[in-house]
This record gives sequence, C-alpha cells and structure tokens, in this order.
Amino acid sequence: MTKTVRATSRFLRRFWRGLREWCGDAAYEHYLRSPATRSGCRPVLSAEEFYVEQLNSRYSRPSRCC
Amino acid sequence: MKRIFGIVGWVVMAVLGAGALGSIALHRSEPLNATWFVVAAVCCYLVAYRLYSAFVAAKVLALDDKRATPCERHDDGRDFVPTNKWVLFGHHFAAIAGPGPLVGPTLAAQFGYLPGTLWLIAGAALAGCVQDFVILFCSIRRDGKSLGQMAREEVSERGGFIAQLAVLAIMTILLAVIGLVVVNALKSSPWATFTLAMTIPIALLLGLYLRFVRPGRVLEASVMGVALVLFVVVAGQWVADSPSWSRVFTLSGVALAFAIIAYGFAASALPVWLLLAPRDYLSAFIKAGAIFSLAAGILFVRPQVLMPPLTRFIDGTGPVFAGKIFPFCFITIACGAISGFHSLISSGTTPKMILRESHARFIGYGAMLLESFVGVMAMVAACAMPPGVYFAINSPSSMVGGTGDAAAATISGWGYALQGQTMNDLAHKVGELTLWNRAGGAPSLAVGMAQIFSSTIGGERLLSIWYHFAIMFEALFILTVLDAGTRVGRFMVQDLGGRVWKPFGRTGWTPGVLLSSAFIVALWGYFLYQGVVDPLGGINSLWPLFGISNQLLAAVALVVATTILMKMGRLRWIWVTLLPMAWLVIITMTASYQKIFDANPRIGFLAYANALAAQVAVGRIPAEKIAETERLIFNQRLDAAVTGVLAAMILVLIVEALVHWYAILTHHKESVLYESPYIATRWAADFSGVAHGDD
Repeated sequence: MTKTVRATSRFLRRFWRGLREWCGDAAYEHYLRSPATRSGCRPVLSAEEFYVEQLNSRYSRPSRCC
Repeated sequence: MKRIFGIVGWVVMAVLGAGALGSIALHRSEPLNATWFVVAAVCCYLVAYRLYSAFVAAKVLALDDKRATPCERHDDGRDFVPTNKWVLFGHHFAAIAGPGPLVGPTLAAQFGYLPGTLWLIAGAALAGCVQDFVILFCSIRRDGKSLGQMAREEVSERGGFIAQLAVLAIMTILLAVIGLVVVNALKSSPWATFTLAMTIPIALLLGLYLRFVRPGRVLEASVMGVALVLFVVVAGQWVADSPSWSRVFTLSGVALAFAIIAYGFAASALPVWLLLAPRDYLSAFIKAGAIFSLAAGILFVRPQVLMPPLTRFIDGTGPVFAGKIFPFCFITIACGAISGFHSLISSGTTPKMILRESHARFIGYGAMLLESFVGVMAMVAACAMPPGVYFAINSPSSMVGGTGDAAAATISGWGYALQGQTMNDLAHKVGELTLWNRAGGAPSLAVGMAQIFSSTIGGERLLSIWYHFAIMFEALFILTVLDAGTRVGRFMVQDLGGRVWKPFGRTGWTPGVLLSSAFIVALWGYFLYQGVVDPLGGINSLWPLFGISNQLLAAVALVVATTILMKMGRLRWIWVTLLPMAWLVIITMTASYQKIFDANPRIGFLAYANALAAQVAVGRIPAEKIAETERLIFNQRLDAAVTGVLAAMILVLIVEALVHWYAILTHHKESVLYESPYIATRWAADFSGVAHGDD
C-alpha cells in the first residue's frame, strides 16, 4: 500500500514538473540554473525580460504547423 | 525466453493490425464499428515504430548516443535547453499538430473512408514519419540549422532559395485556406462568432497578466484563460438567443474575411506578448484536451461508421472538391500522412532541445504517428454521421441547389438518403441557423465530435454546447496558426525587403513592421477573399493549392535528406527517403497538371476561366455581374499561374538535385558534409534533462 502511494506520488510529482516544463512555466528557472547564466559572462535577465525575449525569439520562426 | 515472448507479441500485433485493416478494406454489408479503425491504426503504428523506425535509426542514420547534441554543446538556458524526452515529445507534437490533420481527412471522406484511412496509415509510417525523423536528425548534426540553411549548404544555393520560396508560398496559401475554414465555420453563426471574438479580450487579459503581474507564470494564467473560454462557449448561447445581440454577431462571409484579415494584421504588428503568445497558450491547452477527449470519446462510444468504404465520387465528380482519388486524395490529406511544414519544426526548436540522438526516433517518428492517429480520428468523426448529412454540410450551393429541399433531393439522388427536415432539426439541435453549405470541414467535424462527446456526457441536451466547443477549439487553434504564420511571414518579407533597403529589414522599426505586416496580410488576404466569393466554394480551388505547396516543401525536405544520406555514404539505404520523394513528385506534378489544364471546369483553373469568358462573350452574364465575372476569370488564371510556379519549382529542384547527385556519385564534385564536429558527450548515460536530473 505504502509502495503504491509512494509510486503514485512520484508519478504525480514528475507529471507536474513535466507539465510546467511543457507549457514554459519552468523556463526561467532553467535559465537561472543553466551553465551560461551561472558563468556570469552575460548580465542575468529579470523574469520579465527573459519572458519577453523568449517570446520574441520563439515567434520569429515557424513555431506552429498546419 | 523473454526474446521469444517479445517476438510472439509483435507477430500477434502485426496479425491483429493486418486483420483489422482487412476488415476495414473488405467490409461491405452493415456499418462498421469505429473500433476497427483504432485497432488497425494503433497496431500498424506500433509495428512500424518497433520495426521500421528502429531500422532507420540503426542502419540508415546510425544514431550515436555518445555524441554530444546541440543543447549540450551550447547550453545557454534560452534556445539550447536540455529537455526531457517526454516533455520535448509534447512540445514537438503541440507544434506539428495543427488543423490540417483534422480538416484534410474530413474533406477526403467524400471518397469514402477507405482511401483516406489507408493513406493516413501508410503515408505516415513510410513517408511522413521518416521525413520528420530524418530532418530532425540532420538538424541535430548541424547545431539546429533550419531546412533552408541545410538546403543551401548540402544541395546548392538555388536549392536553398527554392526552399525559402516554398516556405513563403506555403505560408501564404496555408493562411488563406485556414482563414476560409474559419469563415465557413462562423458564417451566420452568432454563437460561434461571439465565442471566438471573446477569445481576443481573454488573450489580451492573459497577456497583460503574464507580462506585468506574474511574468512567465504560464500554467496559472492558462488555467484561468481556459476557464474563461469555456464560460464564453456557454455564454454564446445567451447571445444567440438574444435578438439584438444575435444580429451584432451574425456576419456574412465577406465581413468575417475582413475581420480575420484585420486580426492577422493586429497580431503581427502588436507586441507578441500581448495577443499572439497568450492565444497560443490557450490554444495549446484546449488542443491537447480536445484531442485526448476525442480519442477517449471514440473508444467509449465506439460509433458506427455510416459512410461507405468507397463512394461514387471516386470518379472525380465529388461535390466537396473535384478530382479523382489519384492524385487528389494524396493532396487533400497532407498533414496526417506527410506534411512538408513539419520539416520546419524538425529543423527549428526541437533539435536545439534534444538530449540524445536516439530520442530523435521517439520524437520525430513517434510524434508524427500520433498526428496521423489524430487524422484517423477525424476520419472516424466525419464518417460516423449519415453520408447525406456529411454531403449536405460540405457541398456548396452551386453543386446541390440553393434551397434545402432542392439540396436534399440532389443528395438523395446521389444515393445518400436525406430529408430537408433532418438538416433543419440538426441545425436546431446544435444551435445553428443553418448547416447547409458549410464547406471547409470544420462544421462537419464539429457535428461528428459533438455527437461523440454528447453520447459520452450530457446526451442530446448538451449537443449544442459540445458543437460550439468543437467549433471554438478548431477556430481557436486555426487562428493561432494564422497569427503565428503571419508574423513569421512578416519577418520573411522584412528579410527580403532589407536586402533592397536596409532600414526595412530592422524588425523593431515601426514603419517597416506595419508595411511588412500589411504586405503579408494583403497577400494571403487576397486569396482568402477570392475563396469566400468563389461560387464553387473556395475550398475546391484553395485546398488543393495548399496540398500541392505543402507536398512541395516535403519534396524539398526529402531532397535535402537524400543528399545528406548520399554524402554520408548510405547509398544502400537512400530508398528510405528517395521513394517517398519520388511519390510526392509524381502526385504533386499530376495534381498541378490537372489543376491547370484539365478540361473539366471544376478541376482545371484555365478551363473554368475559359468557360466563364465564353459566357461573357455570348452575353449570358447579366451586365451587373460582368465585373464580378471578370474578377473571377482573373482569379482562376492567377491560381493557374501560382500552381504553375509551384510545379516549376519542383522541377527545378529535382533537376538541380539530380545534377548534384550525379556529380557526387561520379566523383566530379567533392562530397562535403557540413556536420558539426564530433564531440563526445559528458553527460551520464541516465541523464534525462534539467528538471528530472535532480529527481
């Protein structure tokens, strides 16, 4: 029983993380953790700046198909 | 022992798939159950994935998991982000699955369920999935380069230029034709028009929230947005019931076309965070929900397929669009079987996020199989309604007659029994003024989906809500393709214009933004308007043009793939991409020839233009209609010219590729492969992405 509960809770945790990654909710967290950001070579963007930059880049190339 | 069980399991799967396919193909007596379609499709997909994609991965591409992928080499947290393969599968599928696999099979159902279903399954397994998979692999090996860049480097400068032109052509025609699908779905429907109009303020609200209140918190904003959208679907009924509000939202085809053109311009010129992106979030969630619900609904309801396997319209006289099965079934169903547009996605964001080369098989080949399954479900939904109803919804009035009784008599005369009252009752049940002559695929698919959904939840009482939910779902994500496509088209126009006059190329320069947006919108807007006023229904001319341009782009992608395989020394296996390419060239050339030169005015653009010109010459057109007829004649000749240009592009590309291949094979030209240098991965074998790595 405990095993099942643990497996279910792990599955739900993973699903939640996957969902956040899929829809872009976790993008800023990834950005902050990426080696390029942590290296300090470039100034770190705020959440708002990062969000707008990501959108401008995504929608300047084919992103949705027929 | 385990191995023997595995082999036995796959043999059983293959036999089951073959048996289900046989049932679909040979069944002739009473209506067939939709379960057979699901079993046939799923078994064929699983066998194709297990065997054919494994063969392509191991022998043809020789995927190497020890090689670092672009996201490891350039990990910047922005474009190059290591992503878990299931998440990336979801990303990739959301990007490739548009309205095409829903609308194409619905239109092709006029031939009966068999040709479309077989093409969806076989086309995807042997051509579409292979294209997506191989192009994804090629782009991974080239740091995520686009199809155009790969065509320029690996084939020739001219090949790259043709790829760019093909993208612009497909973009223009695609946006026009999907705009037409929305117009036909919303025409004379205050409920649907209100619902879709309300998604604009909802998206604006979400845009402001995501920009200023909680930047980047997409999930919570989308949940709020989806709740609001579902509310306006229900509220649309109150609008439709109110005489004064109903008048405001009852629009003609032309008015809707101009509204969509204005929307496209606004979405392209406004900041992307304000309207375009939040709509896309809404659309992605609703799309995922609706597709899974449709699959669950079909499995739960297991509807009877009432359409015969083959209809009398295999002879080319179909009312939805004219032309025989070959080549028009293969042109009409592009997305779902093979779609050139996918090669832009496979050489866009996905290769920059993939963790391992071996994931390309699951994401490239697997996501396309799922899209094909969406196509099969659309076919089932369209064929689950009585054929008479299907033809009544999808036939233009010029084919069946202007009044309900005349149309019912014509359709019954074809052998598909229909009472005029049946259509009136159905329109009433789904909350529409009329369902006659609503070509474009969206309304008939919505009727099919609504019948499946209402059989699961709510019964006939909720039929109208389900119908308008389905219409909203289709229109919402069609408009998402339309605004995202217009914006990409704007960048292309700015890129081309910038070569002539530098300031025009600056993407932040307001006059340049406005001018380029107006130009691209005028380009597709013209074809959209032409389709709306076309007496033959618009879909008859525009959808085949779209199919031809989409398959042209697929031919470009497969030429690039074949060239790369040749340069990699995989000559023995180049049939994997060469045969689908040859098939595409045959169908696009045949369809182009017939669309230009066929003597039947419903098929040949020139024949239709000449027939109209002859009517004008002998004075059979009233004086007040002459200007309109002249415009129609010009439009037919323009369509013929566009088709001719598309066909010429294919021919030039093929000649270019053949010359290039000959030079490589005879060693007249050095075979240079423009791959990124090999770097061994430093990630552990079980590394599964940033978020999951710390699990």
